[in-house]
Amino acid sequence: MDLGEKIKKYYKEAELYNSHGLLTDALEKYKSIEGLVKSTRNIQNRQGILKQIALKIESTNKKLQKIEGPKTTTEVAEDAQSLMQEMFSFDDPESKGSSVLGGAIALVKFGQYDKAIEELNRLLEYDKFRLDAAKKILWCWVQQNYMEYAVSLYQKWRKNKLFPPEEADAIQKYFNELIDNAGGDQEIDELESQRTVEPDSEIDDDEILDISAARFVLPRGPKEGEKIELEISFQSGKYIRMIISRREKNLIDSINPGDLLKEIVFSSPAAIFSGEGYVSSKNEIDAGPKKGDYSLEIKIIKIIS
Amino acid sequence: MAVINLRNRQIECKLVFYGPGRSGKTTNLEYIHKAFKKQVTGKMISIDTEGDRTLFFDFLPLGLGKIKGCDVKVQLYTVPGQVKYKATRQLVLNGVDGIVFVADSLAVRREKNMLSLKDLHENLIKMGLSIRKIPLVLQYNKRDLEGKGLPIMSLKKMQHELNRQLKVPSFSASALSGAGVGNTLNQTLKLTLQSLQNEFKWAQ
Repeated sequence: MDLGEKIKKYYKEAELYNSHGLLTDALEKYKSIEGLVKSTRNIQNRQGILKQIALKIESTNKKLQKIEGPKTTTEVAEDAQSLMQEMFSFDDPESKGSSVLGGAIALVKFGQYDKAIEELNRLLEYDKFRLDAAKKILWCWVQQNYMEYAVSLYQKWRKNKLFPPEEADAIQKYFNELIDNAGGDQEIDELESQRTVEPDSEIDDDEILDISAARFVLPRGPKEGEKIELEISFQSGKYIRMIISRREKNLIDSINPGDLLKEIVFSSPAAIFSGEGYVSSKNEIDAGPKKGDYSLEIKIIKIIS
Repeated sequence: MAVINLRNRQIECKLVFYGPGRSGKTTNLEYIHKAFKKQVTGKMISIDTEGDRTLFFDFLPLGLGKIKGCDVKVQLYTVPGQVKYKATRQLVLNGVDGIVFVADSLAVRREKNMLSLKDLHENLIKMGLSIRKIPLVLQYNKRDLEGKGLPIMSLKKMQHELNRQLKVPSFSASALSGAGVGNTLNQTLKLTLQSLQNEFKWAQ
């Protein structure tokens, strides 16, 4: 087979592999062509062929990098999540309620952390499932690199005496091991139980624009899942404060200190941007014209876009 | 693991399509979804969010009707083929009753086939199962590419490399056109139901 035919054959193969998604194999063929052309001087349109092959190699490499990069966790559609819960809950169907925990654990295993946490939070109310659900919740947050938030959540549970003594010991032991395994340096035993540690913020106070309003989804309570927008009444760097009218009882009950808001849209006169925030306080105003209303404070911990 | 309700005469079993990435597992399910409309009892759920590569699994429920007095339902799954999704493969494989191993006939995928079969073997061991005992069928897919100028392995070679020791039923196929897909599925179902009969004596 002469060189021209060989190149054509290799090119056809490479293109077919590419179209079948066999990118490593396509890349090898493109590189073989490049090697052949480079080692032969008297080839027609040599530079043109080399340029074209270099482009093919570059684009295939890009596609490969995307696929071969670290495994990412992706939130899938609701019907797929339901299927995961239903079909991969390998527990005893006779044991009432266990399939709920099994389903939530299946979601955890598939990396559907938000949905899993939502399901597991519900199970915290049941004595039988509380400990397992709490362990999985902490695990989910640590897996997503929200170590500080996991610590603050644990402290909140401890402060509210969510667990009876024997369970409190078990969860503390589990959480310490979890932190150690994740390479964290938090000492949860030494933390003051009455103080909730806020997650660190990635932002310098100087970087933050003046914010006029914040829009987010309510994480709990009677208005859970509803999107609301509140005007900012006061801002100090990454801390923003909003007033909630006392008449909005359902809204007041739908957000609490310690909640992590993963998608907040901030409006400022200059731009709209999104980020994550932590509810650092919610207090009833006890004097002045707004007496009886609630002041809600959010600490902005991350800007996403 | 199959759910067998002898009182209501119902069987629900799980078949998994296994194999290296891009070997045509999802294409098999898509063809079954299209060609076996009467048996399809629900929608095919395909969770692929990275181009057309399966990241989690595909799912297709079938109802085979009455067989030996039992109402037989089958859940078909595919696993993600990429090496990095080993944990997901283990998860999907959990409770499996029968397996179709979809091998790629392209010569360049020879090693990937062997590695994937080894991966299946290891995953089954972790679940306390044996590749030699579980109902298993091999499918040599993409035979149609022979005519398109791509080097493909001969069936003899594939048999020798993948099935020399296992000695399980095997079929050549082209999942895109559907050739061999039905035969593969039928044989896998037959082996699976036989295996469940040996274990649970469900047939009247």
